[in-house]
Amino acid sequence: MNSIKLCLQFAFIGLFWVSCANETNEPETDIRQESWTKLEEKAKGSEVTFMMWQGSPVLNEYINNYVIPTLKQKYDITLRISGGQGPEIVKLVMGEKQANVQDGQVDMVWINGETFFQLRKIDGLWGPFVEKLPSSEYVNFDNKFISIDFQQPVEYMEAPWGTGQFALVYDTAKTTDPPRNLDELESYLKENPGSFTISNDFSGMTLLKCFMAELGGSPTSLDGPFDQEKYDRLSAELWDFINRNKPHFWKEGTNFPKEHSKMDQMFATGELGLIYGFSEGGVESKVEQGLYPKSTRAYVWDNGTVLNSNFLGIPYNSGNKAGAMVAINFMMSPEGQYNRKLMSGRESRTILDMELLPEEWRRKFDSAPKRKYSPDPEVMAQKAIQEPAPEYMINLFEDFRTEVIEK
Amino acid sequence: MLIGVVPFCAAFIYALLYSFGIVGVLNNGFTLQYWNSVFASGEVLGSFAYSAVVAAISVIFSVSLAMWVTLKFKRELNKRFLAFIIYLPLAIPGIVAAFFTFQLFSKAGFFSRIAYSFGWITEARFFPDLVNDQFSIGVMLTFITVVMPFFVLLFLNVFKNERVEELSNLAFSLGANSSQVTWKVTIPIILRKTWTLIALYFIFLLGAYEVPLILGQESPQMLSVLIIRELNQYDLEKISEGYVVAVIYTFVVSLAAIALFSRKKMTLNEI
Repeated sequence: MNSIKLCLQFAFIGLFWVSCANETNEPETDIRQESWTKLEEKAKGSEVTFMMWQGSPVLNEYINNYVIPTLKQKYDITLRISGGQGPEIVKLVMGEKQANVQDGQVDMVWINGETFFQLRKIDGLWGPFVEKLPSSEYVNFDNKFISIDFQQPVEYMEAPWGTGQFALVYDTAKTTDPPRNLDELESYLKENPGSFTISNDFSGMTLLKCFMAELGGSPTSLDGPFDQEKYDRLSAELWDFINRNKPHFWKEGTNFPKEHSKMDQMFATGELGLIYGFSEGGVESKVEQGLYPKSTRAYVWDNGTVLNSNFLGIPYNSGNKAGAMVAINFMMSPEGQYNRKLMSGRESRTILDMELLPEEWRRKFDSAPKRKYSPDPEVMAQKAIQEPAPEYMINLFEDFRTEVIEK
Repeated sequence: MLIGVVPFCAAFIYALLYSFGIVGVLNNGFTLQYWNSVFASGEVLGSFAYSAVVAAISVIFSVSLAMWVTLKFKRELNKRFLAFIIYLPLAIPGIVAAFFTFQLFSKAGFFSRIAYSFGWITEARFFPDLVNDQFSIGVMLTFITVVMPFFVLLFLNVFKNERVEELSNLAFSLGANSSQVTWKVTIPIILRKTWTLIALYFIFLLGAYEVPLILGQESPQMLSVLIIRELNQYDLEKISEGYVVAVIYTFVVSLAAIALFSRKKMTLNEI
């Protein structure tokens, strides 16, 4: 009994110590006031830890074999990669905030709108810093797909790094005419039972957002701040549509895949016939790798699919903000973006505006290899939907579970 | 003792405080809201019941199978090759075993392909649902494969150490028939000696994570999968609900473990 008491005491002391430690705040001069050359000077010889999702082999190759050596050579910055995405980043920053850690583990993070929303909520990001970066002169911040993330103004708190559009994917050898709206999907499901499902993750919810926009009547029907009344009305229609067709889903709708990577595999083995995903469903690299057959094609919904950008941010407690800024600036630069396009295949779209680029770079970007298995980005972008407000996603996640999975 | 218990207590207290909204970046002070909403949804209770059923079925099957193998093949198991085959799964981590099961039993897996090439099924999707299925067959199958060899090993040792063979011979000489010997002498002795471990294995399976994560279904989910999902969820304001589930789970399992070990002392004294 005594030992338990002792343990509890220890535990309390431990907690108390954790909450008190690091309470002293050192006044830090704002590095944003300094000139860019001075910042580069400051970043020299430093180490930058970059937390990123490492699930894409082509992108890993770009980072490991191009960005890391070039940063070292040009700016004498050592870039260290640490694996982790959305929830892990948020949990890390939340934990450090809780424990009052001044010198955080991570100096820059790769995030998209959902994580941006969460990090803003806990004041986890440092900024604004983007307009300080020389590369931002080539970025058109009037483009709403770059300046607005999940209906939230970015306000220079995160730097754009890549952009991609959600697309549906099918095999022309098996399906001649894939569905392009909900009515067609309904008949497709009846003809091809078991070959379609909705993953219970970000990709699946994005598909549901596209469906909801169609039910709302136009590509812009979900724009603007979250509207509970609109959500209730459209989601009721959506659940009705899904539950009505559920018997024709994969596993008769009794189960749904946890994540879309599982769906990719099932598409490769032919178990599923119609899938979807960001970056045009990743078809270009997956066909190249031999995972998907060459007859695979990506396409967009008649009412449009979500187009969004992904960003680089700096956590509020990064110990090397100068280094992170230099690294981000390089990754946004024409050089960094062009090499990304070359190395990570035709999937990646640059965030730079061709109109703003110097002539030589524009020509280089123009001569980069074109896509083979998905429509041209400009054609697709005509059917682009903006990411709806984050509350749509929160509610869809919650209700997809209660209204569909558990029923 | 201290090294193990202090971090555990600290983590438990932290989870407890988090579940009442006392700590946490987005929490603002004591509230029962998270506990209420967890109990109101009933999902946790369902998950608990479901996990318990899956763990119980797996343990019962593993123990019975292991018992049968032990009694039937106790001589053969002394041979190296057979022993190697049967103990091999012990060296396989749960996550790898789950992937094996997936590769073998999914609709596009090994057995499905065999069935297809023999013409037993006309399309891959007609292969029976064995992974990510409603009845968690894949999960239980993996549990049994991984756990059964351990019990074989355990039972064989008990069989030797407790001189069950001699006792059985004694029973024979007193006029018992072979089924009486098996049911009244051998099995009771072995189970009596090993039931704490069997119960511990049940608790272990109750909290298993990787196997149900890969082979399980989306609803109901096993406890650990549910807890991680709640902790990682998109709506940061509901993270505390994950801690509520974690606290409930830890509390129940700790009680069970304490009960188990206080009984264990008794049985040791009895012997």
